[in-house]
Amino acid sequence: MAIINQATKELQVKIVYYGPAMGGKTTNLVQVHDHVQTQAGNKGKLVSLATSSDRTLFFDFLPIEAMTIRGFKTKFQLYTVPGQVIYNTTRQLVLRGVDGIVFVADSQYEKMPENVESFQNLADNLASLKLNIAEIPYILQYNKRDLPNAAPVEYMEYLLNNREVQVPAFSATAHKCEGVFEALNMITRLLLQKFINQGAPPQA
Amino acid sequence: MANLPQLLKQDIQRLDDALREFIAQTDATAALIIDKGGFLITHQGDASQFDVTTLGALASGAFMANQTIAGLVNEPNFNSVYQQGEKSSMLVVNVDEHCLLIVIFSASIGVGIMKYYAVGAIQKIAHQLAAARNRNPDGSLDLSALNLADSESFFKKQN
Repeated sequence: MAIINQATKELQVKIVYYGPAMGGKTTNLVQVHDHVQTQAGNKGKLVSLATSSDRTLFFDFLPIEAMTIRGFKTKFQLYTVPGQVIYNTTRQLVLRGVDGIVFVADSQYEKMPENVESFQNLADNLASLKLNIAEIPYILQYNKRDLPNAAPVEYMEYLLNNREVQVPAFSATAHKCEGVFEALNMITRLLLQKFINQGAPPQA
Repeated sequence: MANLPQLLKQDIQRLDDALREFIAQTDATAALIIDKGGFLITHQGDASQFDVTTLGALASGAFMANQTIAGLVNEPNFNSVYQQGEKSSMLVVNVDEHCLLIVIFSASIGVGIMKYYAVGAIQKIAHQLAAARNRNPDGSLDLSALNLADSESFFKKQN
């Protein structure tokens, strides 16, 4: 959960990129790292705990500083989880203290069962941490839209965003940095909005 | 006004006092307090040579992974994680449900002294963190000044 440090004037927030294996979670972080406009010293190293074949083993981690609000620096910690099914325990560990989630879905038709399974796995893992997905800001990113076998967005919306309250969804081609910043900015907006609402006086 | 977990100046001051005392007792190189979610709360000692943000994230992950291993071998928990290096060593100790103490120290110093003095430091740290959690601080961060409609302004892409 986010922390406000009044001594150092910092707000620290944790965003996790979640989704099926090989869906583009790490690519999102690489693109943010490579293309974000920041002042010197506001972007940390991208740390990847990966296997020898560049598959995420534990997590990727990118600390990054965004805007200043009333003198408070906002520090974001971006994490990915390993998508492979066998690493579920690791996914649970990375989700600890999460404030916002970007669910990176793979647009290829044959990946739809994995997308749905991964989304259910996200809800289950949040529940194991006593968190409810309905109460955590999250957005959907439909990645790999440039591939010829990409399913229609409407179909992905039906599969992944068919709820009473729909969440923002973005088409993306992460390796070209398309839809990457749009998703990051939207999840940032949603979770800051949540913080504001948490502090709002109760409605009469 | 936002209502997030907050650490006021006096909290950080007392946490820093506890870390400084611990470093003086043990001759450790640096000591950090981190949240188990990976956030760095504060640090003391000669930490300038380390990337403390990344150190906090990785140490948190390593400690939590070891907690899971503890469960697999029917231990209620592993209270600490110790890594011995050739020049520097690291000890990560549980503070409470939410936080950890990380100690970086010369490999020439035994881990025993770290563990011995960590007990007292942890009590002080846990006490202050509990006080911060139970307090309803007067001052909180007002996020209402944000123009959330302009969400493109948070992170900008280089052209």
